[in-house]
Amino acid sequence: MSAVPYTANAFRAERVKLTTLRSLWVPPLLSVLLTVGATTAVGAILGDKDHSITDDPGIGIFYGLNFGQAALVAFGVLLIGQEFNTRMIDVSLAAVPARGRLYGAKLALGALIGLGVGALGTAGSYAGYAATVPADWHGPAFARAATAGVLYPALLVVFCLGVTALLGNLTAAMGLLTPTVFLLSPLLVGVPGVRRVAQFLPDRAGQYALHYADDPQLAYGHWTGLAIMALWTALAAYGGLRAMRERTK
Amino acid sequence: MTSDEEGKAAVIKIQGLTKEYDGRRVVDDLSFEVRPGVVTGFLGPNGAGKSTTMRLVLGLDRPTAGHALVGGRPYTELAEPLRQVGALLDAQALHGGRTAQGHLRWLAASNGLPARRVGEVLAQVGLAEAAGRRIRGFSLGMRQRLGVAAALLGDPPVLLLDEPVNGLDPEGIRWIRTLLRELAAEGRAVLVSSHLMTEMAITADHLVVIGRGRLLADAATAEFIDRHGRTRIRVRAVDAAKLAALLGGPGHGLDAVEVDGGAWEVTGAEPERIAALAAANGVVLYEIAVQQDSLEEAFMRMTADSVEYRAEAVA
Repeated sequence: MSAVPYTANAFRAERVKLTTLRSLWVPPLLSVLLTVGATTAVGAILGDKDHSITDDPGIGIFYGLNFGQAALVAFGVLLIGQEFNTRMIDVSLAAVPARGRLYGAKLALGALIGLGVGALGTAGSYAGYAATVPADWHGPAFARAATAGVLYPALLVVFCLGVTALLGNLTAAMGLLTPTVFLLSPLLVGVPGVRRVAQFLPDRAGQYALHYADDPQLAYGHWTGLAIMALWTALAAYGGLRAMRERTK
Repeated sequence: MTSDEEGKAAVIKIQGLTKEYDGRRVVDDLSFEVRPGVVTGFLGPNGAGKSTTMRLVLGLDRPTAGHALVGGRPYTELAEPLRQVGALLDAQALHGGRTAQGHLRWLAASNGLPARRVGEVLAQVGLAEAAGRRIRGFSLGMRQRLGVAAALLGDPPVLLLDEPVNGLDPEGIRWIRTLLRELAAEGRAVLVSSHLMTEMAITADHLVVIGRGRLLADAATAEFIDRHGRTRIRVRAVDAAKLAALLGGPGHGLDAVEVDGGAWEVTGAEPERIAALAAANGVVLYEIAVQQDSLEEAFMRMTADSVEYRAEAVA
């Protein structure tokens, strides 16, 4: 018998889990609001004063994503981490014993929501930027940056979900991911010697694809940056799958 | 069990099941079966390995040796397990932020069950009024009821309930007892664990008793009571010395001991026989009291060697 209907049911269950729990559906919405809101607010305040958001429109357009991604990290971690912490994972596994199916359904939902957040956040950010900043956001890099703006949130959610599954613990995942993405990674890139390595961190590499201008200090191109993040994401997702299969001690 | 019976319904078969954690045997070469149409009581003191056994059946833990099959297959191979096995392991293992209804809705979706089942099982367990309330505010008893509702969701032929009586008030205990009996009467296999012997004596048709992960008894409840609920007969005579000479002496083939102030206790004999013996020897009895050992005592005696933690345990 085909496994397709079972997989579809597993996905449907994950969707219902999301819609029935406020702490799961609020973060993606919050992410869109923060992303669009911060970009628009900064554009309105600094639009004609600060060159950093006009010289490279990408930096100005995706300025809000720096805030919006906080909610995305939380979302990715909570999506599976809440089940570890409440031990509801046992109820989920009793309902969907195929580990790969349960985990895959979560990944698919996370990716889909991430894409939705990316599409809304990117469209809103462009609109907010265009309305407040007197700069040309079209440019040759537009298609690439906009595509990356849709993909980056999805990759980030899946990355965080994978890491959380790998660690099997919500608190540990939050403790690892939050400072890494928001503090260490931007900080390390500022240290000349460490930059050579830190530039390959997933968020650093992925965010480069959002920029319009080239950065000669980086060892890779815009698209390659996104590919590096995708590789990190694939590794995390695979590590999570291994851990889910090993969970049964 | 005949092969005909086996074909009737999905049944749990546990064979040589062993589970070690860090070299400690939690479940030790355990074998038993759960048959349809009866309530099987799974008894043992706390820490005896009941919950681990249930987790092994559900594929939540991997056995060190042996196997547990549901309807002839490992649980993890079932595509829509809720339609075949309803389980309640830990009533606290759910997210308090969801409503009772929300929790059951995702469970129903996961196994392609119709959404109307959610309302049906909530009504069945008496939670219809609380359907839209967040689980966070539920008492343990309400959570147990929700757990039972979740187990019933797929209308499964096999039910596996770990300590469902925990946290229930007397009315709730009576309710679950009746429910389990009804479910078995409908032809379902019901495995229910408890550390309360007396509760199981009322509810279960069949008892599986374990201690330290090992099988101690696997018998019909009536048979178990016959075998382990020892009858003691307490006797007193007008002339205590004569009684002592009679029961304390040899030749009568009775298991008798003096208990206190001239009273004797005889184990394993009918009161008629004792009365006849006394009469034949001119001993006038003024008390013959039949004392049935409570099942709780039988259970304690049986598991005494296997209790994991004991207050008076000396290192």
